[in-house]
Amino acid sequence: MKLAKYTKFREEKFGGVLFETRSEKVYSLNPTAAAVVREIVPGANERDIVERVKARFIDDGGAIEAEVLAYLADLRQKGLLED
Amino acid sequence: MTVQAATDPAGQPVAPAAATASSDLRAPLYVAWQITNECNLACLHCIEESGPGKAFRDELSETEIFAVLAQLMDGEVPYLSFSGGEPMVHRHFFAMVEYVCGRGGQLKIETNGHYLNPENCRRLAQLGVKAVQVSLDGASRETFNRMRVRGDFDRTVAGIRSLQEAGVPVEINYSPTRFNMHEIGAAVDLAHELGAYSFYTGRTMYTGNAVKTWRLLVPTEAQYTAYFATLHAKTDEYKGRMRVYFHEMGLLEELRFRLINPAALLIVLPNGLVKLLNALPFVCGDFRRESLGDIWARFQRGWQDERVKHFVEDLASNPMRTSELHEWVTL
Repeated sequence: MKLAKYTKFREEKFGGVLFETRSEKVYSLNPTAAAVVREIVPGANERDIVERVKARFIDDGGAIEAEVLAYLADLRQKGLLED
Repeated sequence: MTVQAATDPAGQPVAPAAATASSDLRAPLYVAWQITNECNLACLHCIEESGPGKAFRDELSETEIFAVLAQLMDGEVPYLSFSGGEPMVHRHFFAMVEYVCGRGGQLKIETNGHYLNPENCRRLAQLGVKAVQVSLDGASRETFNRMRVRGDFDRTVAGIRSLQEAGVPVEINYSPTRFNMHEIGAAVDLAHELGAYSFYTGRTMYTGNAVKTWRLLVPTEAQYTAYFATLHAKTDEYKGRMRVYFHEMGLLEELRFRLINPAALLIVLPNGLVKLLNALPFVCGDFRRESLGDIWARFQRGWQDERVKHFVEDLASNPMRTSELHEWVTL
């Protein structure tokens, strides 16, 4: 799994931005979304991403896995991610 | 915790999502660099007044150019464009392209297409440019060659075909005038036939060479109405196959929007000066003397400057003030 060819990620104080340069669309990311994308950049798989995000954030309600997977699906749907 | 889905964008190119202002960003997202004012053509409408022999006397040296590029890449500016003048006549053009692409930057070239021979196109493909945007202001030799003085429609079309054959993504830009507007539908069709993935147009601006040629160029509002109606239809026709993107609003509306929502975009001139926006005369930095971080901070302050606000509002009563865009005002 990796970011799509024309998608660039940059970390920011508020989290990060994804910039799809073909459409010139910019997506703002909160800190947790940015944490997910940070793991995508070096090529982590879904399972690793879930585990790393779980290790980094408090998972009181046990919802992290579902949220991360839903977020990855959303990125795919937007064409920002490719397998 | 909540993993928030990426926020949808505000619908403007290079505009951060509505919840995020450009001032929240640590650096620009896009740097549009006019690398030279020299050009092989002398187009009637050129907003930069480019042409043969029109290079600025103080354009950046090779050392200065690569120092700026290094700053942009170190600052993680994700997207750059090289334009001009004609960027491909710049003697360090390919070295600059190689540097940016080699450091992972996404780069668009904005060209008149006259140097897009098969060898250059293969080189651009190998270097990995994101796209090449070619100006194609007509669907026929007659209109194109009238607008682009010294230009050659057939050579431009051949260049676009060479890009397509080399596998370089193609964008087309179209500047409307009273004598080429009727060809807009055919031009969109031609762009698609030539393999373009995007088609851009808007309103031609009263500045640069257009100040002298305005009587020949300026379309009527009725012409614009028909023009945009055709573009709406073409947008639907090519949906999913080629993006037809156009600025229907006038310059004043756009500038009022920008005052509230500055794009995360720096315009760099051939001499290293940085403008707030192409359509404004205000300079907010100088890469010869300042760092990217300093310029970015000045850019943010610049959009709050009363002189900028006054200039924009003056355009409401005097739209011809765009003729002053090359009389730079340092903020």
